[in-house]
Amino acid sequence: MSTLDKAHTSSRPVPNPKRSLITRLHMGTGVVVGVIFAALAYWALRNSLLTYTDKVADPLSPHDNNIVLLGAMFAWSIGFMVGIGAFIGPWRWMIGKDLTDEEILYLAGDGQGVKRYFKYCTDHKVVGIQYLVGVMTLLGVGGTMAMMIRTNLARPGGHFITATVYNSLVGLHGITMIIAMIIVATGPFGNYVMPIMIGAYDMAFPRLNALSWWVLFTAIPVLCSAWFLGGIPTGWTAYAPLSIQAGPGMNAFIATIIIFAVSTAVAGANITTTVIAMRTKGMKWNRVPIFVIGSTISVALAIPAFPTFMVSMIMTALDRTYNTGFFDANMGGSGWLYSNLFWIMGHPEVYVILIPGVAALMEIVPVFVRKPLFSYTAAVMGFAGIAGLSILVWAHHMYMAGWAPSLNGPFMVTTEMISIPTGLLFLVLIGTMWRGKPWMKLPMLSVFAFLWDFMIGGITGIYLSDVPADSYLHGSMFVTAHFHFTLMGAALTGAIGGLAYWYPKMTGRMLHERAGYISFWMTQIGFNVLFFGMFMAGAEGQPRRVMDYAAFFRNSNLVSTIGAYTVGMGMIILLWAVIHSWTKGKIAPMNPWGAKTLEWTVPYPVPLTNFDELPVITSDPYGYGKGK
Amino acid sequence: MADHSAEELAPTPGERTSRFFKRADVQQTTLFFILWTALFVVLGLVFYPRWMPTIMSVEMKSAEAIMIWFTVISAPVAAIVLAVATTAFMNRHRGDTPPPDGPAIRTNGPVVAVWTVTSLVFALVAIVWGLTEMNAQAVAAGKDAKSAIVVEVTGSQWVWTFNYPAQGIETHELNLPVGVPVTFNVKSADVNHSFWPVQLGVKIDANAQVTTVIHSIPTKVGHLDVKCAELCGLYHAYMETTGEIQSASDFDAWVLAQGGHKA
Repeated sequence: MSTLDKAHTSSRPVPNPKRSLITRLHMGTGVVVGVIFAALAYWALRNSLLTYTDKVADPLSPHDNNIVLLGAMFAWSIGFMVGIGAFIGPWRWMIGKDLTDEEILYLAGDGQGVKRYFKYCTDHKVVGIQYLVGVMTLLGVGGTMAMMIRTNLARPGGHFITATVYNSLVGLHGITMIIAMIIVATGPFGNYVMPIMIGAYDMAFPRLNALSWWVLFTAIPVLCSAWFLGGIPTGWTAYAPLSIQAGPGMNAFIATIIIFAVSTAVAGANITTTVIAMRTKGMKWNRVPIFVIGSTISVALAIPAFPTFMVSMIMTALDRTYNTGFFDANMGGSGWLYSNLFWIMGHPEVYVILIPGVAALMEIVPVFVRKPLFSYTAAVMGFAGIAGLSILVWAHHMYMAGWAPSLNGPFMVTTEMISIPTGLLFLVLIGTMWRGKPWMKLPMLSVFAFLWDFMIGGITGIYLSDVPADSYLHGSMFVTAHFHFTLMGAALTGAIGGLAYWYPKMTGRMLHERAGYISFWMTQIGFNVLFFGMFMAGAEGQPRRVMDYAAFFRNSNLVSTIGAYTVGMGMIILLWAVIHSWTKGKIAPMNPWGAKTLEWTVPYPVPLTNFDELPVITSDPYGYGKGK
Repeated sequence: MADHSAEELAPTPGERTSRFFKRADVQQTTLFFILWTALFVVLGLVFYPRWMPTIMSVEMKSAEAIMIWFTVISAPVAAIVLAVATTAFMNRHRGDTPPPDGPAIRTNGPVVAVWTVTSLVFALVAIVWGLTEMNAQAVAAGKDAKSAIVVEVTGSQWVWTFNYPAQGIETHELNLPVGVPVTFNVKSADVNHSFWPVQLGVKIDANAQVTTVIHSIPTKVGHLDVKCAELCGLYHAYMETTGEIQSASDFDAWVLAQGGHKA
């Protein structure tokens, strides 16, 4: 426990709701109950299915085995939530009671120090830190997988890992990173900082907030279990019929997505409600900090998008367990149905990832160039335009599927229209920089990196949206390089900028600056080398998701691998900086950057209810600058 | 200010423009704009011809042209963003205290309008170009439907099989006569694959139970790589074969050697 947390602990006497079950439950009891539930479900399902089939036929048929595994995975998730006490509140409501005031204070983690991070804690600041640690863990795991992929691809004929492991790595790297990137900004900053930015005591539904995090937490072991069940052969897109044919590891993927979809739905409802209903007095829509706008649009876009992913996974599970044949052409189904459902989620999802990262940078630029945000309206229009168009472009992922060739034209039109709102985002950033003297701190560096990376990602996206060019590039390494430039180069860079920016508020300390700079340059240079190599490989004609390639592609792949190792080292340095600074960094002043948003008006540790008295807002937070 | 004459207080548009371009930051931005534009133009003109395989079909030519010219067209747009950023970077502020406040520019209507219209125009250029190319390819395919040589392509884990019904042969290598339009009817025996004759620059998924179709017009004799561009399980990486675009006489000889006959 750091000294700062001790100060937090001693601020008030610990609430002591006598004999309440709530005080005895935590992550540990959650795990125990979860494992018991999973074991019971496994045992019960297995035995009941064995009575149906011939007992001699043990082991179970693949179909029955899928039922058993899926049942055990969901039972784990539900059991964990029971064991951590998520259902105590709803149960009280069922029997016509409610939690006592003492219990509510206890749930908020009041005066419990570090222990509250391992409990069903309703304080949005605790949830924010939980998300931050969760995101960093997922990025670390996904990054390690990326290093293994690049190691295998360092030279042709590389057999560092087997084909099964390689294919699993490709899929699990993908889904791990997608999950991490969906929550990378809205998780930590959306939960920790955003309620303070809008001048709220907490989120609208504090218990749902805890629910969204812990439900997501239960998905992590489920996802990891894929390794022990033989991996997944499908990539993160999980196309049918390959997914129907896949082994038991596929169940882990299916269960993860369904659990994750529940988590995002809960979090999305919570964040949108909070922003709509809990802004402090005077915070009209044109005075809301742009990060709040961006995050809200992002989660609002996720609310309709993720259910289709969940549905597609439920249908895949049914195909795999009861032979429903939704996606099996031999049974009258269609793999195209799956691809449609998947991409109806899949394309909005990339903007769910991108928008909060850009919005974080838009929050940063005015502070570091000491100028107002250039055209707040254009920023909002940009986000809204992207969100609106993004639900009409999904089939550009299916140009070469043969599904509906006559729709390729219309989808090309909608896709290329997205460059207009995207252009507005660039305009807002450079307009704010124009005639300013940017203060070269870590958060500001990310803005420069973003402009370069997203420019490359954007332009290459224009070729890919063009059907005749895509007919060459589709499914090649070029596509992989393109979306890494947007998701990693743009969105992750934005989130790292946000981390450097809000780190002092979230930990009370400054992020180690020197390590931050070294990490920044290594990551950015390595990243560009890595994916320029991949653009070359793609242009040369190397398909994606291949474990091996012809000698012809050796140079471009070697370049990529060298770049990848550089990124890996840069990220390890960043990780070190984050961990080191958390306990040993320079103590941060209340407002180290001289920003005008509300989160910088509260001290660290942030009081339980953020504000003693809610502030009244009279202008937007971008009132920098001398008169024109 | 009191001494200034009325003309100086209200400069003409011409004077304002010339003053604007005399400002140090504007000159700096202009310089970087030119440099970035040049860089992207060179990148577009060099990168794709250098790295993409030999152009061996009409479709491949159009794909490469789009990549080159879209890069060149978008060069000035990319350059203006990067030029402003570079200028800001050159004028950066160091130290542990924030820089002095800059001018309080909240927005600039004409700039936002010009920016939006410009990006709309660029989007329209890309859209019209793409649609025109698509249309040209569709028209060509329709026109060539009678004269085209037909190849039935079957993807199965992890082999490509090519059936030439008119020639009565089935092989695992894809040979085609130069200059003759070809129609690929593609299907899968199991999971999804994607048929990609690389140097022809076309691609279509292979699905079970349905036939998907693409056309191409080979224009150059030479080596052809065929790959699978859709993850199809364990040995996806090795689901590849080769072939050749041949002269008409070489192709006929090859067909006969395979036990087939002239169409």
